[in-house]
Amino acid sequence: MPPTPSDVLRGTLDLLILKTLALEPMHGWGISQRIEQISRGVLDVNQGSLYPALQRLELKGWVDSEWRTSDHNRRARYYRLTPQGRRALGTETESWQRYVAAVGWILESA
Amino acid sequence: MGLVRVVLLRCRALFRRAATEQQLDEEIRLHLELETEKNRERGLAPDEARREALVRFGGVEVVKEAHRDGRGVRWIEDAFTDARVALRLLRRNPALSTAAVITLALGIGANTAIFSAVNAVILRPLPFPHAERLVMLSEDNPEKGWRRQTAAPANYLDWKERVHAFADVAAYTPGGGATMSGIDTPRRVRARAVTGNYFSVLQVRPEAGRVFTDAETWKGGTPVAIVSHRLAQDAFGSDGRAIGRSVSLDGARTEIVGVLPQDFTFAADSFDVWQPMAWDPQSRSQVFFRRAHWLRVVARLKPGVTPQAADAEFQTVVHQLQGEYPLTNKVMGADLVPLHDFLVGDVRTALLFLQAAVGLLLLIACANVANLLLAQALGREREAALRLALGAGRARLVRQAFTESLVLSAFGGLAGLALGWWGTRALAALQPAGMLPVASVRMDVSVLVAMVGLTTLTGLVFGLAPVFWSARRVPAEVLKEGERAGTSRRLRHWADMLVVGEVALALMLTVGAGLLVRSFWRLQHVEPGLDPHGVLAVGIDLPRGYDSAATQRTFFGALQERVRALPGVVDVAEALVAPFAGGGVGYTSDFHIAGRPANDYGTEIGHDYVTPDYFTALRIPLRAGRYFTPADRSGSVPVTIINEALAHRYFRGANPVGQRITFDKFPDSTSVWRTIVGVVGDVRQSGMAIEPLIEAYEPAAQQANSYMTLLVRTRGDVAALTPPIRRVMAELDANVVPDLVRPLERMQARSIADRRFIMWLLLIFAATGVLLALVGVYGVMTQLGRRRTREMGIRLALGARAPQVQWLVVRHGLQVVLVGLVLGVAGALAATQAIRALLFEVPPRDPTTFVTVSVMLALTALAASWLPALRASQADPAGVLRAE
Repeated sequence: MPPTPSDVLRGTLDLLILKTLALEPMHGWGISQRIEQISRGVLDVNQGSLYPALQRLELKGWVDSEWRTSDHNRRARYYRLTPQGRRALGTETESWQRYVAAVGWILESA
Repeated sequence: MGLVRVVLLRCRALFRRAATEQQLDEEIRLHLELETEKNRERGLAPDEARREALVRFGGVEVVKEAHRDGRGVRWIEDAFTDARVALRLLRRNPALSTAAVITLALGIGANTAIFSAVNAVILRPLPFPHAERLVMLSEDNPEKGWRRQTAAPANYLDWKERVHAFADVAAYTPGGGATMSGIDTPRRVRARAVTGNYFSVLQVRPEAGRVFTDAETWKGGTPVAIVSHRLAQDAFGSDGRAIGRSVSLDGARTEIVGVLPQDFTFAADSFDVWQPMAWDPQSRSQVFFRRAHWLRVVARLKPGVTPQAADAEFQTVVHQLQGEYPLTNKVMGADLVPLHDFLVGDVRTALLFLQAAVGLLLLIACANVANLLLAQALGREREAALRLALGAGRARLVRQAFTESLVLSAFGGLAGLALGWWGTRALAALQPAGMLPVASVRMDVSVLVAMVGLTTLTGLVFGLAPVFWSARRVPAEVLKEGERAGTSRRLRHWADMLVVGEVALALMLTVGAGLLVRSFWRLQHVEPGLDPHGVLAVGIDLPRGYDSAATQRTFFGALQERVRALPGVVDVAEALVAPFAGGGVGYTSDFHIAGRPANDYGTEIGHDYVTPDYFTALRIPLRAGRYFTPADRSGSVPVTIINEALAHRYFRGANPVGQRITFDKFPDSTSVWRTIVGVVGDVRQSGMAIEPLIEAYEPAAQQANSYMTLLVRTRGDVAALTPPIRRVMAELDANVVPDLVRPLERMQARSIADRRFIMWLLLIFAATGVLLALVGVYGVMTQLGRRRTREMGIRLALGARAPQVQWLVVRHGLQVVLVGLVLGVAGALAATQAIRALLFEVPPRDPTTFVTVSVMLALTALAASWLPALRASQADPAGVLRAE
């Protein structure tokens, strides 16, 4: 058994999706697999919650989607980062890193 | 950009709801498939792989719900769902839905029709620019009981010159007619004399030609006239062709200088010709110019001047005139009201009364529908409880219930508008001519908007009761109570209260209708003082050429002779004015009885000039003295016949015959003293609802006039008499055209037609209200009966007799109805004072009406509750008990 996966922090899911889509357009399941893989199983995405999150990002205009046939000849909805989403990824990453750094300092100084 | 995108996505979500749902389904399905495959590759069994995938996904429905909420159109979707559910429920219970829709349609339809009239008459402004600045100036004389009467020309001129609050002041004659010839055959037209500034005060532009100039108020220059669009089309073919044409009006060559627009209307008057006053400037200093009151006066306020401010200045001037002209103006007051208020006049009370009545009707309809919905809610109590228990929000349930009410009221509103459209047309067509002082009554945008608002309000009102009730229930209780538990006490309470309200409202409506019916019944049994049956009244206005008394009497004498020779004719007579025609009396004046102190006079006296046969022809009884004879002619002793009212009031039992009277307030050497030769019965000259004036008749031979009314009594058909009379008139003089030709009976009926019409309308509303209330009583008692069927069955099985068990239900019905009746009587006692003006010899709190109506309602309501009781008690006891 892998170590108990920690819940994805509320609010960071959007950032993880944006980062994942920055590589290439992907469908929902693909996104969930990629996040799991890259985080080496540490981050356990509640797979269902991806879809409301994707909807939220689409409403913001950071991603858009289209129906395409996948490698295994299945119809799937592929999500893609918009230019706006790419800019958002930049600023969101920056603020995340500031946040992490701040938390790190607090933990180290304590 | 962002906003547009959001709106687009939301619209897509809303309008392509099915597609969006399907896409989401597909996405989730694919996700689960891929996850399951991955799990199988990891070596899990197929079932286990699928289960694992579902666990990892975490609640498919939860995700879907979150997704739906995310679309941001949830509340709209819910509304649609609610509406669909509501429609389904309505379809499932067609009898109930139809009853509710019909009930609402009746209430909303009646309101639409009456509100159309209220809107046209009271709310819509007059069709003139800045009509709010137009005011009507009238004269009051408290000593004679004058209120808002016509004004004297000299007073009008002083007002116009002295009151600075008025931008300008115009005057016109209330009625008038002329014989127009010189185009084709001579015809009679309604003609109004106006001051030169009349159209500029109203700010009416001509369609062709010009309006009058201020100078044309005075004599001089060629006679001119303005005609209506209708007359121009009819007589000349077009507006343009009428301009500059010369016609003969009452024998005077007159040039047509203008044509008015087609939609020009002043109140509901239908004049065709307007002529300037053409007063002689010399008249202004003459006393008759200030003594005779025959003008309607309309003023336009300067911008920014309020009617109150104008009235203050106006009253100052009126006061000045009282001091300056004591002989004529000493007690002459004056009155300023907005023109709109003046024109609306008495019909305002009637219309507001009818509006209140249909308002009550709508409330009854609402109560009825609320009752129906309550009954339905009863059947769905468990459903509501179950939904609450399963976690539906109370707010959501309330909204569902409201949506149902609104859907129902929308249907009722649609049907009601259709009914109202029809009702408005019927109202406009059936109203007695001239009752509503507007050109047209129709449903316009403001009526539509008001009715849509009213419909929504209605839905909320009748939706309230069931909603409050269902939202306050505790689900556990309902579910525990089981199948028979629908009989919640609170629900029954609501239903009873609704019936109480319905009965109370219906009683108020019916009392109102009852008072009007009794008034009308009284009115119909009033003695008119003459026999109008079979009498035709023909107005005759002699043109120029008949200027002397001798020529006038010669023409009328010859005409009488020829008409008397027509087949079927029994009597022929003449009068200045026929009874029931407009004001009824020819004119009024002061009077003075010989030998009495100068101040011993009261109200004014009415006058009529009649031929000797007048009283016998109309069957007016002689009380003392004699009728006129042919010997009472020009040159002989001046005589007069007075009516009983005058004899009673001023001779107080003494015999008036032989006494002398003059029609001046302060007799002088020029006064004509008339000897009273007879006393005749009172005639309701001014209309059946109006007390007879004190009145004096003078022989037509001693008081010739160019306008007289021929009164012809026939054995045969009155209507068939018109053509032969026209013929003999044309034989005598082709230029003499009959003015108004009307059967006296119809004129009598017309004098009370408004009251009759209002009475019928109210009767219809009251009958509808009672019917709805009875349906309500019946419905609630049926429910009660059904609930107690089991109890009745047991009682019957134990040996109770049928009437005893029926009494169980009837007693409850009686209690509810009695409370309603008491409340209704209290309401009616408080409300009927407002309709005093519409009643005739019936007090607003007439005990007979109140008692009769209450007893009738109580009895019918008793029947409505006895019927369900009877049915419930007839159920087979064994069967009922087995059914449990």
